[in-house]
Amino acid sequence: MVLELKSIDKSFGEKEVLKGVSFTAEGGKAFGLLGRNGAGKTTSIRILMNVFPANGGEVLIDGKPIDYDKIGIGYLPEERGLYPKKIIIDQLCYFAELKGMSPKDAVKAVDYWLARLGMTEYRNKRLDTLSKGNQQKIQLITALAHNPNIIILDEPFSGLDPVNAMLLKDVVKEEIAKGKIVLFSSHQMSYIEEFCDSIAILSAGRVAISGDLHEIKRTYPRDKLVVSTVSPDGIVADFGDACTLREDGTLLIKLTSPDEKQAVMKRLVEGYDIDEVKVFEPSLNDIFVEYAGKQI
Amino acid sequence: MKQFGTILKFELKGYLRNKVFVGITIFLVLAIAVVMFIPNIIAAFDSDEGTDTVPTDRPVMLIYAEDEALASLVSTYFEASFPEYEVKIANGGIDELKGEITSGEAECAFAMSSPASYTYYVNNLSMYDSNMAVADTVLQEVFRIGAMVENGIAPDVAGEILSVQIESQSETLGKDQMQNFFYTYIMIFALYMVILLYGQMVATNVATEKSSRAMEVLVTSAKPTSMMFGKVLASCIAGFSQLVLVFGTAILLYNVNKEALSNPLISSIFDIPVELFLYLILFFVLGFLIYAFMFGAIGSTASKLEDINTSVMPITFLFIIAFMVVMFSMGSGSVDNLAMLVCSYVPFTSPMAMFTRICMSTVPWYEILISVSILVASTLGIGILAAKIYRVGVLLYGTPPKLGAILKTVFKKQ
Repeated sequence: MVLELKSIDKSFGEKEVLKGVSFTAEGGKAFGLLGRNGAGKTTSIRILMNVFPANGGEVLIDGKPIDYDKIGIGYLPEERGLYPKKIIIDQLCYFAELKGMSPKDAVKAVDYWLARLGMTEYRNKRLDTLSKGNQQKIQLITALAHNPNIIILDEPFSGLDPVNAMLLKDVVKEEIAKGKIVLFSSHQMSYIEEFCDSIAILSAGRVAISGDLHEIKRTYPRDKLVVSTVSPDGIVADFGDACTLREDGTLLIKLTSPDEKQAVMKRLVEGYDIDEVKVFEPSLNDIFVEYAGKQI
Repeated sequence: MKQFGTILKFELKGYLRNKVFVGITIFLVLAIAVVMFIPNIIAAFDSDEGTDTVPTDRPVMLIYAEDEALASLVSTYFEASFPEYEVKIANGGIDELKGEITSGEAECAFAMSSPASYTYYVNNLSMYDSNMAVADTVLQEVFRIGAMVENGIAPDVAGEILSVQIESQSETLGKDQMQNFFYTYIMIFALYMVILLYGQMVATNVATEKSSRAMEVLVTSAKPTSMMFGKVLASCIAGFSQLVLVFGTAILLYNVNKEALSNPLISSIFDIPVELFLYLILFFVLGFLIYAFMFGAIGSTASKLEDINTSVMPITFLFIIAFMVVMFSMGSGSVDNLAMLVCSYVPFTSPMAMFTRICMSTVPWYEILISVSILVASTLGIGILAAKIYRVGVLLYGTPPKLGAILKTVFKKQ
């Protein structure tokens, strides 16, 4: 299954929030939707979920306009919150039923997920008696219980301890393995880098860059080397201005051309005590800063 | 449609699980039950005391006149007219008489300066003191009989002339306002209370979902029209069943207790014609819905619960004005005045105004039809508009936007 947003425009009053946003997410893969605050991520998600219509453009599934009665969407909003005073099982079943499940199936699905996330003991408690992290796990169930085709997770890891984060990662991996489209939106680049095969970076309502993350990385010129060494002084003296010390203690050597790569590597390995030398690839963080940083 | 059912069920369950709601309902039912049994309770106490109820310690009323014959004549008549007082002739002068009243030995005094003029002395004049009115009547009669006798009419003939009784009968061809007044009053008041109370509940309910951010998931799960109609109908059903319980208890206990409650005022409240009862239900449901929709829409524009009170003010005012117009018109006895005529067609006021007119006056059927049609159409219109405002409102946070701005957004989308 392929989800495609095609030149979506949206304005609120005079303000143009989205200007021709297009990206494609495939089933069985995770997709990262990135962008600074106010770049248009939430608006894109809301249009995708049919909360309000776009001014222009279309949302397609396998090339055809999306049918919201057939395609289930699960959503974990960034602004978390359910009914604080209501019993957990009641509200979870309510949300599952709103998504079209029968009351019987809803209870079954919710019970499965409560067990999967280790929350069964809270089944009949009020939501506001739970800790923040546990409330977040309950909220995750509203996004997963109705077995949606598309899962949208907005900052899913914020507020989770490492054990819960691990649990969530496992759950997300299972869902991806089931062939679902998983859409991540997060400012925690490490998670996106770990999960997402493709990304789109929004900047001021436009897609600054989108596509396969590895391919994006490959488009950067391969004309820098990263060198790990215990005695950097000799190298610094040897390469002069072309060599800079990075924050993590490694050295970055800028080549005059990518063709030099083999020769310089050989020179380094033979001439100095080197732990590791590799071609520099930008991290997602670097790419993000480069593309999203321009937005005022 | 399925979503609507799910929402309605969930919201109703919320009311039934709400301890305050259940508590108030039980309290009201019990209170009504107690009120309905008060005559029986009083009767039970009375029978214990037996029939010997002659008051032994009556307050003293003094009669003073310089002419002793006048004083004894007046006191004879007053003894018959004021059985609750021990009527005595004052012995001393005016000052002594005043002293006895201020010291509390006597409660009041009539100082007669002539058969047709007196001064009434009393320590604290109560709001309900009718002694002067009674005294006036008695003295008038005494004076007239005296005058007639002087002019040669025999005293018994004079008495007969003065005590002639006029026989009369009244037949109401339209509505008897006296009889209808109380139940109309009670129903209008119930309508007023329930609409304001439940309207606030709907607004708070929506604002709570927004402030707790449950809305973020809700808007992606359900259509705003289903949400709005589900919520409002749930509150309508809850409010209506509360009324049915309270008034049902009252009617049931009235019928059980009919003999003890033979007071004509109470029976006038319960003798509601079926036709009016049906009108009550019709206007209650429509009036409730139109206001609940507005309250819901307003609730969706507030980001915090604190904003609700100021946001709903215009609606509350509108409603209170309608209530006032109706109440004043009822009090003045002319329910067909111009204000009421206008109000009975304006959808926000017609539930109360038209209902009052139907109860207390004779309204042609086509006027009722026009009023109800306007009301039904407006309720639907307001409902759909409210759902649209809701859709825009629920995603806005921060300062509550102005109504004009929201309407602009809503209509621009069409």
